[in-house]
Amino acid sequence: MGVRQWGLAALAASGTLGLSAQASPEVTRSTVEYAVPAVTLVRDDGKRVSLPQEMDDGRPVVLNFVFTSCSSICPLMSQVFGEFRRKLGGDAGPVHLMSISTDPEQDTPTRLNAYAHQFGAGSDWQHYTGTLQASLTAQRAFDVYRGDKMSHAPVTLMRAAPGKPWRRIDGFVTPDELLDEYRQLLAGK
Amino acid sequence: MTATPPRRLLRELVGLVALLGFVGNAAASNDSTAAGGAAIYRTGVLSSGQPLQAEREGGIQVAGTAAACINCHRRSGLGMKEGRRTIPPIAGSYLFHPRAGTEDDLDLPFVEGMKGDRDPYTDLTLQRAIRSGIGADGKPLSYLMPRYTLDDAAMSELVAYLKTLSPGAVPGVTDTLLHFATIITPDADPLKRQGMLEVLEKFFADKNRYTRAISPRLRSSHRLMFQVNRRWQLHVWQLTGPADTWQAQLRAKLAAQPVFAVLSGLGGRTWEPVHRFCEEQSLPCLFPNLDLPVVAEADFDSLYLSQGVLLEARLMSGELQALRESTPLHRVVQVYRVGDVGAAAAEALAASQAGDGITVVKRGLSAGRNLATAFRDVAPGDVLVLWLRADDVARLGAPPAGVSQVLISGQMAGLEQAPLPAAWRAVTAMTYPFDLPDKRRVRVDFPLGWFRIRQIPVVAQQVQVDTWLVCGIVSDTLNRMVDTFVRDYLVERVEETLEHRAVTGYYPRLALAPGQRFASKGGYVVRFAGPSGAHVVADSDWIVP
Repeated sequence: MGVRQWGLAALAASGTLGLSAQASPEVTRSTVEYAVPAVTLVRDDGKRVSLPQEMDDGRPVVLNFVFTSCSSICPLMSQVFGEFRRKLGGDAGPVHLMSISTDPEQDTPTRLNAYAHQFGAGSDWQHYTGTLQASLTAQRAFDVYRGDKMSHAPVTLMRAAPGKPWRRIDGFVTPDELLDEYRQLLAGK
Repeated sequence: MTATPPRRLLRELVGLVALLGFVGNAAASNDSTAAGGAAIYRTGVLSSGQPLQAEREGGIQVAGTAAACINCHRRSGLGMKEGRRTIPPIAGSYLFHPRAGTEDDLDLPFVEGMKGDRDPYTDLTLQRAIRSGIGADGKPLSYLMPRYTLDDAAMSELVAYLKTLSPGAVPGVTDTLLHFATIITPDADPLKRQGMLEVLEKFFADKNRYTRAISPRLRSSHRLMFQVNRRWQLHVWQLTGPADTWQAQLRAKLAAQPVFAVLSGLGGRTWEPVHRFCEEQSLPCLFPNLDLPVVAEADFDSLYLSQGVLLEARLMSGELQALRESTPLHRVVQVYRVGDVGAAAAEALAASQAGDGITVVKRGLSAGRNLATAFRDVAPGDVLVLWLRADDVARLGAPPAGVSQVLISGQMAGLEQAPLPAAWRAVTAMTYPFDLPDKRRVRVDFPLGWFRIRQIPVVAQQVQVDTWLVCGIVSDTLNRMVDTFVRDYLVERVEETLEHRAVTGYYPRLALAPGQRFASKGGYVVRFAGPSGAHVVADSDWIVP
């Protein structure tokens, strides 16, 4: 038993030595069709809503998955959303930024609301929680579930209109890069 | 999060650095330098009181607590694994160790993300890494690492602090022994005490049975040293006398016998002094058996399985809300015994109803006082809330005439075994902060079998199963930590890995994260299926109030 664990530890060590602290991560972009699952979520204002209805109100959607106790990747992703929104300004037409919690049992609407406030979210950027099952269903539908909330990776999804495919960005993008992606998406490029 | 006034913070942090047992060239002036660094590291506040400033990739600005090193590198400085990205350790010994000729020569306790195959940082290259995001090897660091604006004085404070973080000798850990304490308050239930101690003693005995008397030092090809054969030793810290003397008793016990962590434990009406002691000593206090834990999520060292009766108060609050939507609700009458945990739960429930136009009456009965006195004026339309133990529940008599809504704490009354008289069952809903009996059966059968084989009498099933569960959590976490015995790291590893457990006993799921201190977050509202027996039926799915 002990020897086996020791072996695993050594294996883990050899696997990570030299891998950490690498420079700019790889960013991959893809165009994917996702079926939006018919789950009920709870918005940060406490209202129970249908995910398809929230996504299909006509506005372009920009979507990510975060949780409020996450201390490294999520605050950065939320900051990128905040900056993206600010840079987009009011002239770009309506847009709906959506952030779905991957830790819904901890992220009550009250906590989500406080988190949203911290990053300057408004009526065009809403956060969603719900039952654990509903969150998992949404995560699986958009292929972001990686076994548990700690194992998430930065993923941003955007869609120009209901019925259109999703643009998926795996990896970290800056607010400017996200803005470019978004403009290209709306321009139908 | 509000910033603590700098002076108070500095004072606290000086104490903290002293507690960390900071060795080496630790003159008094270095203590205060490192304390300044600790404030930067932990709270993102500079000695001047100004927030720490940094810039991330893409020109994103971060400041203050959001920029604090602790967010990613954790309190231990040993980093973490988030997603596929490993955040490396930045405790001094991991930054400054000489380049290993090969990875095999790395002679540090194992931590994910440690790097042997690079030049050691110097004070200068470390400053460059912090200010410009360039690693010791001259390559850019991860996009997650902000570029910090720090003047030379603040920089030297931070670097001095990083040097103090290095794992060294830890109290309660020897080459052959790992010392644990379990803490029992004098007002703890004697039956639960007996049940818990039997489980702990058998778990420790089992753990040690497979341990050889002398641990051979194993070496891998990487020369990672993993001493698999430390024996576990349990110290039972039985407190006596009034609660305001417990902290002093605990300090004396810790001084006499240093321990690595506090494991399980049993409380009565308050746990506050124990919680404070563990915070003060930076001593992990892992999952004591409590009906009323301490809710202080900004604290670090104490982890709890759930919020107990406070969780039930929130479940009841939701139930009252639902009731209000269907029937007019005049008054809520809460009944509890003075000196028991029901008082705090009743307080929490009353607070949650404030401003809703409902009269909430709290009736604390002193010991021996007849329960009927609390029900005398209860009228139809009133909701009765019972924060009572099983012995009181058995003596409830007949419910007050016309009362159609009663809520009872399952945790206090004994869950489905609560001796609730038949006449009450039809009108009573019970808050149930665990998984339902049918759903948890398989998960609970395993520890029950374990108890049977070891001839442990089941005298307080839920407490005993929780105790067994907690022993397993700590044991598994320590196995994964290999030989990196750092108290903060133990808490961090439990936070990060608890969610992976399939064996969760009475709970459908356990999960923590940085800043989360309660592993199970919901419960059910159930009703007895019949006038007798222990069959309960849930009103709805699992509720996270």
